Order: sequence, then C-alpha cells, then structure tokens
Amino acid sequence: MSATDVLTGRPTAAGPTTRRRPGLGSALRWESRKLRAQLRVKALLGGAVLVPIAVVVVMHSQPRPPKDTLFGRFALDNGFAMALLVLGFAVQWVLPLLTSIVAGNIFASEDQHGTWKTVLTRSTSRATLFWAKTVVSVAFALVALALLAASTVTASLLIVGRQPLTGLSGQTIHAQRALELVVASWATMALPMVGFTCLALLFSVWSRNVAVGIAAPVVIGLVMQLVGALGGIESLRPFLLTTPFEAWHGLLAEPRFTGPLLDSVVTSAGWSVVCLAAAFLILRRRDITGG
Amino acid sequence: MDSELAVDAVGVTKTFGSLCAVDDVTVKVEAGEVYGVLGPNGAGKTTFLRMLFGLVRPDSGTIRIFDRSWAADGVATLDGVAGFIESPAFYPYLTGRQNLEGLGLLDGGVRRDRVDEILELVDLTDRAGDAVGGYSYGMRQRLGVAASLIREPRLLVLDEPANGLDPAGIRDMRALVRRLAARGLTVLLSSHHMDEVEEICDNVTIMRQGGVAFHGAIAELRAMAPDPGYALSTTADDRALEIAAATPGIAAVHGPGTGLVVTGPAHEVSSYVSALVRAEVRLLAFTPTRTPLEQLFFMLTDTDPQEAEAA
Ligand SMILES: Nc1ncnc2c1ncn2[C@@H]1O[C@H](COP(=O)(O)OP(=O)(O)O)[C@@H](O)[C@H]1O
Ligand SMILES: [Mg+2]
Repeated sequence: MSATDVLTGRPTAAGPTTRRRPGLGSALRWESRKLRAQLRVKALLGGAVLVPIAVVVVMHSQPRPPKDTLFGRFALDNGFAMALLVLGFAVQWVLPLLTSIVAGNIFASEDQHGTWKTVLTRSTSRATLFWAKTVVSVAFALVALALLAASTVTASLLIVGRQPLTGLSGQTIHAQRALELVVASWATMALPMVGFTCLALLFSVWSRNVAVGIAAPVVIGLVMQLVGALGGIESLRPFLLTTPFEAWHGLLAEPRFTGPLLDSVVTSAGWSVVCLAAAFLILRRRDITGG
Repeated sequence: MDSELAVDAVGVTKTFGSLCAVDDVTVKVEAGEVYGVLGPNGAGKTTFLRMLFGLVRPDSGTIRIFDRSWAADGVATLDGVAGFIESPAFYPYLTGRQNLEGLGLLDGGVRRDRVDEILELVDLTDRAGDAVGGYSYGMRQRLGVAASLIREPRLLVLDEPANGLDPAGIRDMRALVRRLAARGLTVLLSSHHMDEVEEICDNVTIMRQGGVAFHGAIAELRAMAPDPGYALSTTADDRALEIAAATPGIAAVHGPGTGLVVTGPAHEVSSYVSALVRAEVRLLAFTPTRTPLEQLFFMLTDTDPQEAEAA
C-alpha cells in the first residue's frame, strides 16, 4: 500500500467518525501491558517470592529466638510460628511499601513523563482511565500479597517444619488446623492492603509526584502504628488503617474472636472509598497544563 | 451551517490565578481548511488548543468540534480529532510500536498492519522496536505524527509542529501538512512564525496576550501589510539620508547598528537606489529586513522584533 493511501485512511466526507468505543477492558489491557513492561514490577514480584525465603533461612540460623515478638519464642522450631512472625514484621512497612511502589506511581508517572496529554487525547475518558489504573493497582497488590504469603508459608514449613503450634492463649493447634489459620491470617491482610493501595492512589493523583506517591503511604502507615501503640486512644484505634493489620490475632486465640475482622472490613472499606472518591474528583477536575 | 464547522469556539476564556491566558477568543475552522493560530510565546495558543482537547476546562465560552461538545458528549467530542500539544510525549520504557499499539487500544483498537503502514510513512520502521527513551527529538516528533494518524482523524490539531526541528525537519513537516490537507483533512495548527502560517494556512487568528489581535484570511492580512523594509549600508550614510528625504514615498532612518533602514513600496525603493548611484553614494549592503507580513505580525502583537529574533 502506498504512503498516500495510508494518509486517506477512511473517507473524510462523512459525519463524525463513529468508531468502536473503547471500554474499561481496553484501558485495563493497556495499563497492565505498561506494568508488565516495567522492570520494577518484575523486580517486586520476584522479590516477593525470594526475599521471604532468605528471611526464613537467616532467622532459622539465629542462635536465639526473638522472644519479645509475637510468635517469636517458637519461631526457630515451628514453621507456623515462623510464618506468623514474618507476617508481624511485614505489616510494619513492607506491605504498604509493596503496594505503594505501584499504586503511588501509576498516576504520578503520567505527570513525570508528561503523558497525560498523550492518553487523554484518545477516545478513552478520564473516568475510564482512572478505574483501569485503580483495578490494575489493586490486582497487583493482591498478587504481590499472595506471592509473599505463599513464599513465606512454604519456606517456613519446608525449612523449619510442621510441628503443632502453640496459640496465643497457650492452646495447642494441630498442624492441619494451624496451616488453615496461618493462611487465613495472611489472607486478612488483603483488606488493609487494598486500603493502602487506595491511599497511595490518592497521593499519586494529588501530589503528581512519584516519590510522594510512594513514600507518603508508608510514612502514614508508620505514624498510624505509633499512634496505635500509644495508650489511651482506644476511641481512635478503629479509624486507623493499621488496626486491620492486627485483626488476625483473634484467629489464634482460644476462644477465637472475629470482631476485629469485621471492624477491619469496615475500616479498610471506609479508607478505600474515601481515598478513591477524593482521587477521582481531583483527577476529574484537574487542568492538564504540564507535559 | 454550523455542522460545516470543524471547530466552533466562541468567547473562550481561561485564567490562571490573576493571569488571563486566553481572553474571549472566537475561532471558527471550516471543514477542509488549514487554519493557523499565530502568536508570540505566551500568547495563549497552547492553552487554547488544550481546551479543544478537554485537557483544560474553559472558565467561560463554548467549544464545539464537529458539532459535539465536552459538556454534552464527553470524550466522544474527540471522535475524528487527533494531534499533539507542545512536543509529543510517550512512555520511554516502551518501544515505538508498543506505544502506538497501546494508544490504539485507547482508540478502540488498531490493526497491526495499519501500525506498520504508519511507521513506514513517518520513516520509523527501522527503529520501531527500540525503546522511545532512546529516540531523538525529531523521531519523537514523527512518532507524535504517527500516533495522531492512526486515529484516522478528520481534524488534525498541531501545536507548533515545527518547534525544535532542523530546517530539513521543518520542510518535511510542512510538506506533510500540505499533503494531508490536500487529502481533505482539516488542520488547525499554531505557530509563532508568520512565514510558516503564510505558507500553509488559508485563515489565521493572531493572538496577543490571550486576546485576538486579528482574524481573517491570509490574503486580507497581506493587503494590510506595511511596505517592505531594507537595511542599507553605504559609503556616505548622511548623504543617503538627504537623498531619501528628497525621494517621494521613501522613509529612511538610522538603523539599530550602523547603516540605515529604508522603507517604501518596492518601486520607489528601486528609484531611490538609482538616485544613490547617480549621486555616487556607493552601496556596501542592501538586504530586506523582514517580510512585510512579519513586520505586520510584530506590529499586531506588540512584540519587539529584535527580542523575538533573539528568542
Ligand atoms: N498552568 C499554568 N499556570 C499559570 N500560568 C500558565 C499556566 N499555563 C500557561 N500559563 C500562562 O498562560 C499564558 C499562555 O501560555 P501558553 O498557552 O502556553 O502560550 P503559547 O502557547 O502561546 O506560548 C502564559 O503567560 C503562560 O505563562
Ligand atoms: Mg505554546
């Protein structure tokens, strides 16, 4: 085909070209394609698999167990305790950081590369792009969490062993039940992970700055943990996004209590909805003058 | 009648803080024409084009593109519209082809062979597999044209498309615009070069500090243009000034450096030069200062030609 034929494309005399309108599906494919092309995303997912193995190996080779940490006392000779010890450590900043590196970047990187004008002059609306970025970020957070959990639990059980676990009330939990509870405990992290993802998305939209988008949620997470550790703030605790990180404790007590888990659904959903709504409004109203 | 218009922008205004970047601008672009928005840096051209694309929301005024508006039709307003604002930007970690295919997804899908054709057209076939981060400025500009053309637009909006290109690149860009226009595409482009607009546009809006200083046909503008000016250097400038004073239709003043600047209709200027020769004043240099349209542009936009040339 000659160059001039290329130029004509299609007849130009008709009314406005009505093309197949791209939906959320096309935008999702585009956003996930971009993520998969980024080295940092591959590195994060690889790290989520490899780092827990290294951590378990190193911890296991320590002469003394970390006695004053939850499940630390039994971690050197019980794989379930090891997996829960790593969980207790991960919630301090690893989980918020893991999701922020993608979610805190996904809007601000369009500012960094000056590409808002590139994508917003096609046939996809701001709202569609917003939801595509949100869905892809949440999906990444859940995949990363699942890899981290699977790697930690597998490494702990293979390296440390599958002995019956001593629960938080001193009860003995046989291996099969312990595995279920450990997996369930890791699974409860999905709720605050989604909350932190939405917080990072908000900072990414609002700050237009990749560094702020990534660092701010992590710092806020650390501050909320500090506040949560203070005495006399019981009324504040249900509102902290870090409180759901501890909801799993109830699963390992005897009798089991699930109240904190229900609170955790409300807290995480509340943060997610508020952050997403704010981010959506900011993006919708914003003038794209840069780039 | 209204449906004939590719762009129908009426009374568009946008302020940033206390600065009125676009002030009550009305632009009507007929389908099929090449329209220029001309103005010095900071005149508000880019802000105006951003409002067409819905990137910036106007404070007041209405914008219709092929009879659609952002308020009523949302992103469907951009059906049949493509182009770029300032220099085109892409994802540096994706290849040229991946960028085009991805943007094609946001258009509702693009055939692979169509991407090949367009890459061939902008002469990027050989580099299509390389990450855009390694592209030169000119290559990115060509990829910007490619990204616009895969939308198969009826209206192409280009913001200072020649900016930053070398003379060969500028020539190619102008030739491409003319070729596209010949195929029936409507083109709206901005520029701060009168010669560019004069060369390729049918109608023009000249902007100045956010407002409209002129709008109409290039032919109208030509009729308004002042007499051409010439920089003159002679062996006896004072004598040359005296002769100028005695020649009807000619005005001569001392130039900014050495020498004189002479203005007048071409015919009188040539008689003046003969008079100098007869008076044995010898010419050392005789060059046109700038084209009359450029001169008019500087007058309309209140810019200092020296400053503009330095920029
Ligand atoms: N985001 C912004 N905030 C404040 N002022 C702006 C912004 N964008 C543009 N301007 C100002 O608006 C005016 C018009 O700018 P612009 O549209 O880029 O002009 P042009 O494209 O003609 O050079 C300039 O004075 C510029 O400084
Ligand atoms: Mg500009």
